[in-house]
Amino acid sequence: MNELFGVSMNTIAAVCLVVTAAIFVLVALIAWRNPVMFKMGLRNIPRRKAQTALIVVGLMLSTLIMSAAFGTGDTLTTSVTAEVYDILGRTDEWVSWDAENHPAPPEQQVIPLSTVEEWQKQFAGDSDIAAIVPIQRESLPVVNTRTKLNYPTARVVGFRTADAATLGGLTDLSGKPVTLSGNEIAVNKDLAEEIDAKVGDTVTLYEKGEPVAFTVTAIVPAGALSGAADPSAKHGAAVSFETLAELTGRGQNADAVLISNHGGVKSGMDRSDAAVAKFKPLLRDTNYEITPLKKNLVKFAELIGAAFTTVFVVFGLFSIAAGILLIFLIFVMLAAERKPEMGMARAVGAKRRQLVESFLAEGMGYDLGAAIVGLFAGMGVTFAMVGILKAFAGDNLGLNLTVTFTLRSLVVAFCLGVIATFLVIFISSWRASRLNITAAIRDLPESHPVNPEAATWKGYYRAVINGIAALALPLGFSLFFFRAPGMMLGAPLVAVGLVSPWFYALRNANVAAPRERRTNEGVPRWPWILGLVLPVVGWLLILVPYWIAVGLVVLVRDRKPAALPRWLQVAALVVWPVAFIAVLLQTWRTQVAWSAGVAAALGIAGVALTHGGLDHNSSFFFLLGVSLLGLWLAVTLRYFGIAERLSFTAVSALLLVIWYMPSSVTEPITGPLTGGIELFFLSGMVMVTCGTFIMVYNADIVLPAIASLGSRFGRVVPALKTGVAYPLTSRFRTGMTMAMIGLIMFSLVMMAAINTNFSALFLNSDTKGGYDAVIDVNPNNQIPDLKAAVENGGGDFSKVKDFGEVRVADATEAEVGNKDGFKNKEDDNGNRVVAPWSPYTVFGVDPRFIETNKVTMKMYAKGYASDAQVWQALAKDPSLAVIPAAVTVPPQGFGGGGPADLLRLKPVEDGFEPFQLQLHDPGSDKVTTVTVIAQMSESADTFFGLGTVDFATGIVIPEQTFESAFPDAKGQRFYLALNPGVDAKAYAKTLEAAMVQASANSLQDLLDEQQAMQNGFILVFQGFMGLGLIVGIAALAVIASRAVVERRQQIGMLRAIGYQRSMVALSFLFESGFIALSGILLGLVLGLSLAWVLFVTGEFGEETKGVGFIVPWLNLAIICGIAFVASMVMTFLPARSASRIPVAEALRYE
Amino acid sequence: MSENDGRQPLGDVIIEARDVVKTYDTGVVQVRALKGVSIQVRRGEMVAIMGPSGCGKTTLLNSLSGLDDFDSGVVLINGEDITRMADDRKTEFRAKSMGFVFQTYNLLPVLTAAENVELPLIVSGTRPRQAREMALDALDRVHLRDWANQRPSQLSGGQRQRVTIARALVNRPAIVWADEPTGALDSQTANEIMDLIVDLNRSEHQACVIVTHDPKVAARCHRTIHMADGVILREDSQAVMVAAAAGH
Repeated sequence: MNELFGVSMNTIAAVCLVVTAAIFVLVALIAWRNPVMFKMGLRNIPRRKAQTALIVVGLMLSTLIMSAAFGTGDTLTTSVTAEVYDILGRTDEWVSWDAENHPAPPEQQVIPLSTVEEWQKQFAGDSDIAAIVPIQRESLPVVNTRTKLNYPTARVVGFRTADAATLGGLTDLSGKPVTLSGNEIAVNKDLAEEIDAKVGDTVTLYEKGEPVAFTVTAIVPAGALSGAADPSAKHGAAVSFETLAELTGRGQNADAVLISNHGGVKSGMDRSDAAVAKFKPLLRDTNYEITPLKKNLVKFAELIGAAFTTVFVVFGLFSIAAGILLIFLIFVMLAAERKPEMGMARAVGAKRRQLVESFLAEGMGYDLGAAIVGLFAGMGVTFAMVGILKAFAGDNLGLNLTVTFTLRSLVVAFCLGVIATFLVIFISSWRASRLNITAAIRDLPESHPVNPEAATWKGYYRAVINGIAALALPLGFSLFFFRAPGMMLGAPLVAVGLVSPWFYALRNANVAAPRERRTNEGVPRWPWILGLVLPVVGWLLILVPYWIAVGLVVLVRDRKPAALPRWLQVAALVVWPVAFIAVLLQTWRTQVAWSAGVAAALGIAGVALTHGGLDHNSSFFFLLGVSLLGLWLAVTLRYFGIAERLSFTAVSALLLVIWYMPSSVTEPITGPLTGGIELFFLSGMVMVTCGTFIMVYNADIVLPAIASLGSRFGRVVPALKTGVAYPLTSRFRTGMTMAMIGLIMFSLVMMAAINTNFSALFLNSDTKGGYDAVIDVNPNNQIPDLKAAVENGGGDFSKVKDFGEVRVADATEAEVGNKDGFKNKEDDNGNRVVAPWSPYTVFGVDPRFIETNKVTMKMYAKGYASDAQVWQALAKDPSLAVIPAAVTVPPQGFGGGGPADLLRLKPVEDGFEPFQLQLHDPGSDKVTTVTVIAQMSESADTFFGLGTVDFATGIVIPEQTFESAFPDAKGQRFYLALNPGVDAKAYAKTLEAAMVQASANSLQDLLDEQQAMQNGFILVFQGFMGLGLIVGIAALAVIASRAVVERRQQIGMLRAIGYQRSMVALSFLFESGFIALSGILLGLVLGLSLAWVLFVTGEFGEETKGVGFIVPWLNLAIICGIAFVASMVMTFLPARSASRIPVAEALRYE
Repeated sequence: MSENDGRQPLGDVIIEARDVVKTYDTGVVQVRALKGVSIQVRRGEMVAIMGPSGCGKTTLLNSLSGLDDFDSGVVLINGEDITRMADDRKTEFRAKSMGFVFQTYNLLPVLTAAENVELPLIVSGTRPRQAREMALDALDRVHLRDWANQRPSQLSGGQRQRVTIARALVNRPAIVWADEPTGALDSQTANEIMDLIVDLNRSEHQACVIVTHDPKVAARCHRTIHMADGVILREDSQAVMVAAAAGH
């Protein structure tokens, strides 16, 4: 995997390493400069071993998520790449007919051997190109006459031995060279396993129904010379060029040319660009094109790996967010625990910075341990995920998945974990260090000095200008990036934003004090030490701004006016960079209402984001902006004295309403907005935050009801009472934990609900189209009369009740007019452009299919009201057509949509005006016009895609039109409805035995396989996202453990006044249960309701609009049950230890 | 002036300890906190236990009240041998027949004054409505009815200790154990609290065992037991302690 989010992994790794190294250097500096505080921090780690273990488990999650995501990406990339190397061997490029620019019937798409021989002469002794090998290929049915086993679509390759020798030749499984002539055949390993072929067996190939016998002379590895085309189609065999040429009638022509570069299997690819560049001039005036096959496939493998990693990282963001909350919570609680110690340390002369350093030392101990544990745990998770994928998706993946980790990925995962944890530890340490010494020593609640400007407009003004100055950097970037009103201020704001943090770092320092308060203490040194240890970045972004800040502080410290001039006050509000000047001139140590100030700055960023969202049609930015405005509103209301409960509840409810609004409601105001998977994460973050606020601020209203419910259980009441009372008095802890659990539950519930409903939509009983089995026929051996073919092969056709035939022109054989002008092609510069034709599959259905199918429609054109009417019309009028559901889904939408170069049409509404479509045969250049009268349902799309490699659906037209429109298309399928009681799976096997050119399957089997594969992927995703629950559960355990310590004396008292041990334990369990249930309920209600709104209003794609919503109760019950039981199990240990505290000892405890 | 004025005559023995031995094992050293202590307390009697820090006062109180186990000896409360009780039975016994007052109040900060006071009643199975009535009545007796809905953090030190006393008395226990009940209070508030305890002792007639350093507190009790190094040195009558307190 070479890229993540479009950024090179090398760049990411380099940046991560530099930042991690800087962190370690910083920690080493702390240890060197202040060994006492460093040791004080480190010695806290082994003090409470169980708590330390919990902290490490909680902190490791970021690293775990990263390493599991990277590990999965690496595994997929390496496995696919290994398959590519195995199959292509030394073949690096591929020359073939350029069908796109030179349409021709398939039999004419050949390259004369004489032309290839000229190329061979021309490139003899070339420094890049080592071999040029012409081949012929044909897909043929094959039967092993000894075992009677057959395979309907074996890819048989013919090549000349002398040519192949330049490519390393064909060798058998033991490496012995194989030469072929006459009716000798080398069967590749995959085909040999399928038909149980051994050396010496006679196999029969069928070309246009004629059998030709061959003797197996070798079993060879699956490769380009033995018919393997790609990881999904490896069954093949090799014969001599002359033999295949005679069989197919292509004579002395190749249909493809394999090119091998100098170097090995892997290193040859490095010369691919050079080889293509040398070959292209030769092909300029020909009908051929060269493709860097190996390079493209390896690139594709990397794309797959990167895509999986990206998806896992995005889905893992929920867990990472929850993990960050946990780290913050843990350190806030550790700070609370150490408050008296820290107060004492401050009292005897320790500086705030030294407290931060002590905390950082301790935090880095946990961080390092957690990153190492997380790395290995993440590797374990990768093994588990790959194992589940293998178990559920089985052979359908067509890949031999081998778990692989690259050193680079592990380094990045480790570093990202260390960095993320360090940042949170740094912020929480800084917060913890700001304590009141007396209050800390006496372990009293922190008292804050009264702000004389509190709740006044003057104070608000001060808050706003400080907020703008402090957050100038992100504010400037957001204005600039979104071209919002005031965009011109963006650049100067960024400049201010680089300096202002240093101004705030110096704000309360001696250097900023007025003359009469100033001592001879110098300028703080830590910023420039920090700047020095970060080469280049630190020098430019820390040292220069820091010294500018020092200069400014020194310049103004003795020149501050008694009051700011009015014009400057106004300018600071209107021209935001000027706010910094107003801030510089503030009186030394003026109190600032920071929450109001930061909220105001975020409000301005919210306006920029809202504007940017509307401008770029981005739901993500629009809704993020609106949410930030909500935050600003709530904090501002609180600042001006509106009750916290009222302001936060009202604004949270308002935001929830906005998030629930379907686009049909918002679109008239906002215009069309689009969003991708990132919205999933944002919706979870914002909605769960809002829900948490509503719950923690209002739970005391429902509390009496809970208590009265509990009163029925007599002695449980006191435990219940204290169990619910404690969480509500620690809103911060409770809210954080509730949010952690809520976030993860939200993501799990959304995923479960969406999966269930999409499964119901695509994989329901309609998906079988009224049939039980499908027969896919080898394109070179079509079946003119199915009944005769079955009976001639010894099969029993009397079990078939009805059947219908479907002819297939796949996306390489058929094109459709790009009627709605979608950008369906990429030009040479990589830009999307509109081309007149889009490749698309077309099905031709015979009268029996029309008569017997139960394939359903979802939209009817004017004049049609039922499926039967549509099919009858198709039977009568050959110029009519039906389009699939997927063709109106935008490419890469949530509902799928597939590659952007396939045909797209604008969505149609029920009762649409019939419209014309042009069908184009690239072989003959013939254009046929048909009239669309209906759109099929999603289950019909699945019906046509079942059992095919690309799962393609297509446009359905009557067979007679198909035959004239696509005369060269050879695809043929039969759909069979069997008599009641016939086992479709068993019958399909008898059909395969009767017709060598056919592969038959039970439709139910195919559906089940599809469902199993989908379930496997969903299980992997759910398991991966469920890892976040570890965070919530660890948080509960940390809180419970902490509570046992904090409340030791209270526990003693409770025991003294008559609480039984069990009641003490019960009280703790109730407490955790209350938080866990609240979080679970929060995620469940929000996730389910949002999924419902999005599904029924068609936000996931038009296909879901108006469809009934299914609640997966069982699945949800299992998810909620696991979360709750796990929470209780983790709280059990602290609860038990609380119940076992000796009473007298607890009462003595201080 | 004798504090016994207006009090009911002392009743039969309610607390009897014989040869109580308690050793703390710190893993490094063993400390014999009680070296065979024997005492008797009568119903309605107020007894102070005094002595220097570490002499075993609190250990004795914890052992007598069943809060802590001891190595050997017998403690009979109301004739029942608490050493033979299982933990649950002992807890139930405590809930029904004892009340506790601690120096550091030990109120639950998350509950209101009334909720704190009613807790022992609810624990022992009293119906919530009745428990609330009794709690308010107890708060009334300590002159805090108007503060019933305040949380501990909203009360002064003296008020918190009065809530603790109300909690100790709410279930009309036969014995009240108090460990330094005035230790965290200023002298005026301490006096008020002792007035309250003595008044309640007069009206409720409970046995009351008070661990204290303060001779003025001891002077308000019927007798004072002096301890040192895990043994009882002597016992003084109230008159002796009043004189000592006056001298002090």
